Amino acid sequence: MRFCRVRSVAEAVDELSRWGTEGRILAGGTDVMPQYLRGEQPPAALIDISGIDGLQGVSEVGGVTSIGTLVTLRRLATASLVAMRHPALAQAATAVGAWQTQTVATLGGNICSAAATADTLPALLVADAQLMLVSKSGRRRIGLEEFLEGPGATALRPTELLRAIEAEPLGERSAEGYVKVGRRSAMDLAVVGLALRLSVTPTGVVNNARIAVCGGTRPPHRVPSAEAAVVGTQLVDGRLDCTDAGAELASAAAPERAREAEYRRRVLPRLLSRLAERCVAGISGVGS
Amino acid sequence: MPGAAGEQSVSIRLIVNERRHQLDVGAGETLLSMLRERLSLLGPKEACCEGECGACTVLMDGAPVASCILAAGSTNGRTVLTVEGLAGTGELTALQQAFVSHAAVQCGYCTPGVLMVLTALLEDTPDPSEADVRRALAGTICRCTGYQQIVEAALDAAQLMIRAATS
Repeated sequence: MRFCRVRSVAEAVDELSRWGTEGRILAGGTDVMPQYLRGEQPPAALIDISGIDGLQGVSEVGGVTSIGTLVTLRRLATASLVAMRHPALAQAATAVGAWQTQTVATLGGNICSAAATADTLPALLVADAQLMLVSKSGRRRIGLEEFLEGPGATALRPTELLRAIEAEPLGERSAEGYVKVGRRSAMDLAVVGLALRLSVTPTGVVNNARIAVCGGTRPPHRVPSAEAAVVGTQLVDGRLDCTDAGAELASAAAPERAREAEYRRRVLPRLLSRLAERCVAGISGVGS
Repeated sequence: MPGAAGEQSVSIRLIVNERRHQLDVGAGETLLSMLRERLSLLGPKEACCEGECGACTVLMDGAPVASCILAAGSTNGRTVLTVEGLAGTGELTALQQAFVSHAAVQCGYCTPGVLMVLTALLEDTPDPSEADVRRALAGTICRCTGYQQIVEAALDAAQLMIRAATS
């Protein structure tokens, strides 16, 4: 195995095109290194992109948040721009592993590892995240949900690098959050993770809802039937009735054969109610 | 292990405990293995080898990392601090002293990692709450103390450091 340190995106895509399926990108390494250390088939080359400065930033340009692929989970958990515009993402980043993990684990790595339990992915899905991919032959843009093809499987081609993530920030009269249930409160994978983004009209009618889950057998995904059940609902006394949406979430989880499936079906409606309550409390400027 | 079969090496320059080093490390070599086997820094411990237990925790550019799953090759240009670097002048830090007075060390295996993550916490959050301390400790497992003495030592050290800074 070779170790190829690259200093720029141009160098990275050169190496990727040279090694193809034999190359593996190394960012924080929190997935790649344990796999190697467990004795899984090593790649011919580790392509270390961790020193590329241009992939580190978080910025808001033209109403879109752009997050470099190397932005760490710790940065997402602590950056004020993320806390204000993408609170679900900040909460999800805090829920991954422990501080030691968050220091080096990157958002791009989380996306490309595409774990079914990846906390950050539901938070990105409710922000309608778009991925900016680059290769030697050009650039392309793909929606996160389309990118996630299966647990551990993505639409990333062997010669491509995920360069940045673009996400839609929270708008007016909107709120969002992420909640996770695992066996312990830190250092464990999600049995259920749920992200919700809600927008309401000045008179308190939900006009947009995005709901995404992780932790099952499928890759993290949105649940359109549950979203549709919330849209059009009127807040009553500052509360949102999520009974129908909760039932939709439970029934969408029904085909799963994971051993926690029954638990997921029971807990998802309650998590949704709790999260909706938190979100509604965070929305200001709504008349009663 | 350094120089595993089939691995090519890569040259790195880094600072460890205020000393500059230039080393050739294996492509799959971990920072922990480099520290222990090339630099003879035996403070960071090898236990789980998968980034779960925290016994290998060191600070990289001031932030805690699990050195057992960090590629040594990717530490080029970085600054690393291990437990050996804390009492660089020969005097224990306030945190280390508090560990002694609170009997926060039993078998001692987790202690180097715990000290490093708490050193980072006190730098980051000089007046932490008990919840802050416990959250910071989430990735460092101790099977002896039940954490209580460790938490008390950290809170006490924070107050000592605040008093020392304001007096």
